[in-house]
Amino acid sequence: MISSPAPQPHRVAVTAIGVVSPLGLGCEETTRALREGHDGVAQVTAFDVSKTRCKTAGLVDLAKLKAGAGLKRHRREHLHHPASLMMMAAANEVRRGDGAFDPQLLVIGTTSGGMSFGEAFYRAQVRKKHPRERAAWLANYLPQKPVLDAEEAWPCAAPNQIIANACASGTNAVGHAFRLVRAGHYQRVLCGGYDAISEMVFVGFDSLQASTPEKIRPFDKSRTGLVLGEGAALLALEELESARRRGAPILAEVTGYGISTDNHHLTQPHPSGVGPRQAMERALLDAHRAAGDIDYINAHGTATIFNDATEGTAIAELFGDRVPVSSTKSMMGHSLGAAGAIEAVFSVLAIQRQFLPPNIHFREIDPAWRLNIVANEAREAQVRRVISNSFGFGGTNASIVIEEAAA
Amino acid sequence: MKTTTRIAGLGWVTPLGASLDEVWERLGRGDVAEAKVVANPETGREHIYAPVPLKTVDALARNPRLRRSSAISYFAVAAGLAALQNAGLTLTPESAARTAIVFAISSGGVVYTRKFYEQIVKQGANVASPLLFPETVYNAPASHLAAQLGIDGASYTLVGDGSVGLGALKFAEQILATDDLDRVVVVGSEECDWILCEAYRDWRMARRVGSTRGALLAEGAAAVVLAREGKVDLQVHDGVPVFREREAEAALSRIYADLLSGHGADAVIGSANGTFVDAIEQRALGRHVKGATVYLPKRSWGEAFGASALLQTVVAALTLEHGLLPGMAPETVKIESVLVSALGFNQQAGGAVLRLS
Repeated sequence: MISSPAPQPHRVAVTAIGVVSPLGLGCEETTRALREGHDGVAQVTAFDVSKTRCKTAGLVDLAKLKAGAGLKRHRREHLHHPASLMMMAAANEVRRGDGAFDPQLLVIGTTSGGMSFGEAFYRAQVRKKHPRERAAWLANYLPQKPVLDAEEAWPCAAPNQIIANACASGTNAVGHAFRLVRAGHYQRVLCGGYDAISEMVFVGFDSLQASTPEKIRPFDKSRTGLVLGEGAALLALEELESARRRGAPILAEVTGYGISTDNHHLTQPHPSGVGPRQAMERALLDAHRAAGDIDYINAHGTATIFNDATEGTAIAELFGDRVPVSSTKSMMGHSLGAAGAIEAVFSVLAIQRQFLPPNIHFREIDPAWRLNIVANEAREAQVRRVISNSFGFGGTNASIVIEEAAA
Repeated sequence: MKTTTRIAGLGWVTPLGASLDEVWERLGRGDVAEAKVVANPETGREHIYAPVPLKTVDALARNPRLRRSSAISYFAVAAGLAALQNAGLTLTPESAARTAIVFAISSGGVVYTRKFYEQIVKQGANVASPLLFPETVYNAPASHLAAQLGIDGASYTLVGDGSVGLGALKFAEQILATDDLDRVVVVGSEECDWILCEAYRDWRMARRVGSTRGALLAEGAAAVVLAREGKVDLQVHDGVPVFREREAEAALSRIYADLLSGHGADAVIGSANGTFVDAIEQRALGRHVKGATVYLPKRSWGEAFGASALLQTVVAALTLEHGLLPGMAPETVKIESVLVSALGFNQQAGGAVLRLS
């Protein structure tokens, strides 16, 4: 077991956040949607879904994003992948929130980069057509490109690290960035994640029968699977005293990070829940917190039979039924590499605005565990500390602890 | 931030073989990997790449965890196991708990990705195989390696271009400093497919059949065990993003200046691969690393993207071990510091310096 490092002197503040998701563009729209329990899942029209069981996904309003997200007009903008647009919009919001934040490093999670451009390239081969865009498809297909596009638009030229740890990528990115700032390696790190919907990934989850033709019902007795989503989110992390000295807004603190690898199977977690449990235990240990200190759990909660069974077991064992739990994927779908970062932003919003986002479409708890589900409607609550979970293919598990900024 | 970690073990799987000694000798003789011709089945257009001979990973053929895996995972596991063996390490549950994996990848599981999407396009989404899809995920090879080694802690997969191996070394250096770990197994691996060749040819990077210009795409894997104790000190640069090709020389120059701090290096393991990279790297080295002997291993085994910079790093570490570059006469001056330089196709530049501990 990887134990907690010795206590470090540096506290890590979140000074700005930016988010693009099926629940809205920006924090204000997103907060309203979270409070209202908005369902951001819609029919997929970007590709043919006539032969898949699932036909829906949480979709970002790209037209609105292009029109109103404050993106600068760019002569080559038609070559930007939607993931680049989402990243640029999230970065814009961070800059609006803390204009003086100057990142020394970017740590970003993703699972599929610009996959839809790769699909276009393959289809062009099959059709024996070679459109002029093909070189641009390739250059914009690679996972680092949306990050570089966001940097260029910022503008900043900090080194970047792109983590592709499947669905845990976003939380891994925030967690790694947190550790670097806490250890004093960097004062300011911009972290987060992105992913845009693509046919290959959509069909992939459908082929595994992980996605559902019904509503997504995390932790419900009658849950039938996930729906995919898309989006991007960024968090500006800075050493707390440095942020205070320059008068930056302190939205929250990141205080703990835990990672584990479950070697049971490439796509199925060990039924005991050992992987999620280790990640949460390690995050709590890292934050010097006990389970009883946590006020809200933003669960991974994909609503697949296997994920919820293991995560539900791990949460019930660690936290009992005292701590409120919700999966915000019930509202926006599973945005893969972006999910952990988006949910970290939701966790900051829950702390700032003192409410618990709901787990919508919920009917009846799975009798396998007793959990305090925030069912269907948001709750006003005192939220000081949140643990946010992300688990992914390859057995990768990650949890982070986010807290209200102490005086 | 400058920190020093040490290299404790090395491993590789290359188109020239998988034994450190054998490949070193072949590099010294100036051997060049044999290229394989593959055709785009849709258009008939032919491409070449340097494959890893399958016999190289024969020993893993009956590994139950790898039975549905693509070649990339076989290469990765073989290189990782070789590096641990080179380090004299047999992981127990206790030592595995203090070991992490950092994986470098660029194209990833292209064979299964292309096959899976081919099924969607040609046969329909309803018949696309659930056995293929999980192996298309970038972190599938790292997952197989973790399972093989019994590592249940930190495992990260980093994506990038041909410089991502150095990014992975930097990341490993960071988690060694911030987490309670004894070592990190850093692995980079790639496999080839006709769609990859087609893509890089359309991008005007890949070498055509019968040509000597452009990069010969290649398969392969490399692994480096990083620890606090070892024979070679490693200092890795954070890397510099490059937004336009004309900025690349300045990016490399900055990296060299930061790493060498006026001390120079006895040798350079460069990333020249037959493309625009060559001239840019040559100019930057000519201005900032004068007098060093430059060795270009991609002339022997091609461009293996996610594995490339780690393959360069293994060459650099072996150069220090031998005191010589591959093929260099023994009476030549002993090499005590080596710069690894990497400029990728997709806007990333990196560097590292290795010195004898």
